[in-house]
Amino acid sequence: MSARKPYIRPMAGWWKRDPFFVEYMVHEGTAFFVWLYALELLAGVLCLAQGEAAWEAYRALLGSVPLLLANSVILAMMAYHGYTWFKIMPRTLPPMKLGGRRVAGATITALGLGAALVASVLLFGIVWMLTSGGAQ
Amino acid sequence: MQVFKADVVIVGAGGAGLRAAIAAAELDPAQTVALLSKVYPMRSHTVAAEGGAAGVVQAHDSLEHHFNDTVSGGDWLCEQDVVDYFVGECTREMVQLEHWGCPWSRKEDGHINVRPFGGMKIERTWFAADKTGFHILHTLFQTSLKYPSIRRFDEYFMLDLIVDDGRAQGVLAVEIASGEMVLIEAGAVVFATGGAGRVFRENTNGGIVTGDGMAVAYRHGVPLRDMEFVQYHPTCMPGTGLLFTEACRGEGGLLVNKDGYRYLQDYGLGPAEDKPRNKAMELGPRDRLSQAFWYEMQKGRTIDGRYGPVVHLDLRHLGAEKLHERLPQICELAREFMGVDPVTEPIPVRPAVHYTMGGIPVDVHCAASLPGLFAAGECSSVGIHGANRLGSNSLAELSVFGKVAGESATRYARSAKARNSANLLRLAEAAALPAQNLLRRDGSERIADIRREMAQTMEEGCGIYRLHDSMQATCDKLAELKRRYQNVHIEDRSSVWNSDWLLAIELGYQLDVAEAMAHSALNRRESRGAHQRLDGYEARDDVNFLKHSLAHYQAGRAPAISYGDVKITRSRPRVRAYGAAGEAAEKQQAGQEAKQ
Amino acid sequence: MSAAMAKVSVLRYRPEQDAVPVWQDYQVPYSDDMSVLTALNYIKDDLDGTLSLRWSCRQAICGSCGMMVNGKPALACKTFLRDYPEGIRVEALAHFPIERDLVVVMDGFMDKLQKVKPYIIPKQARALDEGEYLQTPEEMDLYAQFAGCINCGLCYAACPQVGLNPDFIGPGAIALLHRYNLDSRDGGSAERMALINSELGVFNCTAVGYCSEVCPKMVDPANAVNVNKVASARDYFFRFMRPAGEKGACR
Repeated sequence: MSARKPYIRPMAGWWKRDPFFVEYMVHEGTAFFVWLYALELLAGVLCLAQGEAAWEAYRALLGSVPLLLANSVILAMMAYHGYTWFKIMPRTLPPMKLGGRRVAGATITALGLGAALVASVLLFGIVWMLTSGGAQ
Repeated sequence: MQVFKADVVIVGAGGAGLRAAIAAAELDPAQTVALLSKVYPMRSHTVAAEGGAAGVVQAHDSLEHHFNDTVSGGDWLCEQDVVDYFVGECTREMVQLEHWGCPWSRKEDGHINVRPFGGMKIERTWFAADKTGFHILHTLFQTSLKYPSIRRFDEYFMLDLIVDDGRAQGVLAVEIASGEMVLIEAGAVVFATGGAGRVFRENTNGGIVTGDGMAVAYRHGVPLRDMEFVQYHPTCMPGTGLLFTEACRGEGGLLVNKDGYRYLQDYGLGPAEDKPRNKAMELGPRDRLSQAFWYEMQKGRTIDGRYGPVVHLDLRHLGAEKLHERLPQICELAREFMGVDPVTEPIPVRPAVHYTMGGIPVDVHCAASLPGLFAAGECSSVGIHGANRLGSNSLAELSVFGKVAGESATRYARSAKARNSANLLRLAEAAALPAQNLLRRDGSERIADIRREMAQTMEEGCGIYRLHDSMQATCDKLAELKRRYQNVHIEDRSSVWNSDWLLAIELGYQLDVAEAMAHSALNRRESRGAHQRLDGYEARDDVNFLKHSLAHYQAGRAPAISYGDVKITRSRPRVRAYGAAGEAAEKQQAGQEAKQ
Repeated sequence: MSAAMAKVSVLRYRPEQDAVPVWQDYQVPYSDDMSVLTALNYIKDDLDGTLSLRWSCRQAICGSCGMMVNGKPALACKTFLRDYPEGIRVEALAHFPIERDLVVVMDGFMDKLQKVKPYIIPKQARALDEGEYLQTPEEMDLYAQFAGCINCGLCYAACPQVGLNPDFIGPGAIALLHRYNLDSRDGGSAERMALINSELGVFNCTAVGYCSEVCPKMVDPANAVNVNKVASARDYFFRFMRPAGEKGACR
């Protein structure tokens, strides 16, 4: 009779075990806010379809203090989600080469973050121009 | 006791054992090959080999050159017919490993690349960066997974060889996880259990390198051959003994003493030149380089390090890029274990025990004197290393002779007479008793104390240079340790993963192998290769000692030493010279041969 | 002379006497170049012979001595006491069953290695007499990193998905699979795809990425897993796109 009796450690609360796991869970948690914002946009589209009154009500709601506060939280969470997403990005891509040398993970992350920043500024500028043009 | 019936059982799943298993499975896919190892195959010590494996590929190289480098490197104590077979098979085996996926370093055109190594006339060392052993082992292990006829017994520890009717017919092992005994019956047994370097204090070897197969064969009346020849590798980490591969010097690394002087030129290895020259200076053979270190130490020209005297291995001039490409593991070891960056600082090094040239004597078919027993790799003495192994011949050996052993064992097993299973079980049960009794005994000696004293006395008596009195003292000390071992204490009485128990059994193996080494050394009254004396026997003595020593086990007594002939086919012993002297001697030799 | 001492706590589990693992403290003489492995062997040799652990090469290449050091997967041989002035807690590798003390059950891991067919399935057969396959340094560089895996299991101890679903093939074995898929000599990618796509396959991975953080050999198994997610999706898509005749015996 074998005396083997392997012990299996429980996994409950595994994500509290290591700061790396905590960060991972926060990253995953911030995805909830991405979902919230998607709902918000969807509501806007629905209102737009229902006519001008609904659309104006929606706009008014967006301008209210609670919604402004909520959207600032969503923005912060999405920024964090984006940051950690770019941090993991090099691990998900096939190796990239530039002039025969492997591009470092940190470079890919920095490029990703940079591109996101530039895209955001551009988008913000375009929207700014469109909205200020519309006001004339 | 559990019983498993195999056609061939292989003990040890390092490079030689895996190669043997694959060869056996390919020769006869219908048979059952039991592959037993005390560790998972990828933990085997082949994994730590760094520099490379020999195989003639360059147009200006030849089998004759490889033969000559091997035989003169071994100070003519080689079986020359076996060396001929060996050098003829190396390249084919290297290509075979390539076909199985080994990531050999390549040239730009996609062909494999070779590097120079110590004691080598022309570059012929195939390499996979500085992790050649690692890649060979993993390639062989992963390839072995293709063959359904290979049945692995991972983490099974060999307790004994089962010999019935004068033939090896199986092994007794313990499953480490459960502590249960198992008899593996087989028509033939292959030992591929590796070397025994752990009997010395400062060594490059893993903890598992304890001479198990050598000791088990020895106790069954198989003599151990040329055990006094233990290779000191010249460039190892002080304190731990970890290896800095010979490839460091193959790539152009320099050895300097405390004055920054390339001291090897004072020991017949010069002249010192800027460009590396094969078979000269840092590319001299391992025994000569380790001996030169010893003399530097006597002259007070070494550097005082934390763990005693060191010299410097200087790689700085190779540049960061080449170091990273060719010697990544060396950089990692130096940085992480010593806090030394080889790009900017020289590495402190000293010699440490590296390789057991001797072992279980086998013929070119890897057959031992005991019918049914075969051996390959470091545990064997097939006769290619002589008194000093040429760097990169051991990885080539385990591949070439691993294959031979697997095929020979298969053929032997096919024609072997039927086994008497009842007899074998009875023998196995009797063979299990000593190990079982060890567990029940109330001793008082700590395992670690005996092990440390053994390693210390081996270093004192059987080091780089040897004296009669200190060798005698080592022999006496080993006899004392063997007495004390009878009273060894095992703290752990449990059955699941009881490593205390296995360490005690390993220590018993080590003591027997150490004794064979010390007595063989004491009796060899000459200096040859790795066996160098300073007590009136400084010269090689071909009249009396161009012979293999054979240590025979005597239960309860010191081993008996006898001598056997050396097979010389065409290379008569000459002066063994390197550097400019070596080239001059070679020219003279060629001239004489031309005259005849 | 009283030398400096360091505290080493070890999670002990002796199946024949312990119902659950228990912590045990030891005092070992401290030096600034002492590895956790050396400390454990000091304990084994001089304090307590009943402590069990796996180790061999001492130089981070055999892969035997993986364990949790202060909660993180590490090789004991290249983890040093000097980096833990607050003391050391050593535990068997997470996400593996504990066989005893610091020894874990590796059977499942070994089975996974076998499953990925980690050997050359030749794209083109070649006889030994034809010499080696040609492979340029660039072609070799594609897979070299993944061939550096020492099978130490640290990445499994870093992967919560392995802990939650022990059947997941896991980062190390997928890195090995990827190594052969990327080898110019190999033609077995299609054969290995079924495993990648399966329930044991890459989609168990939620891109935690810790496996690559703890890898002692810079293998980056997370990369192998995630690149194969893309490969798997592509495979699925193109299977869908292909004309019915080429889909084989499906339906």
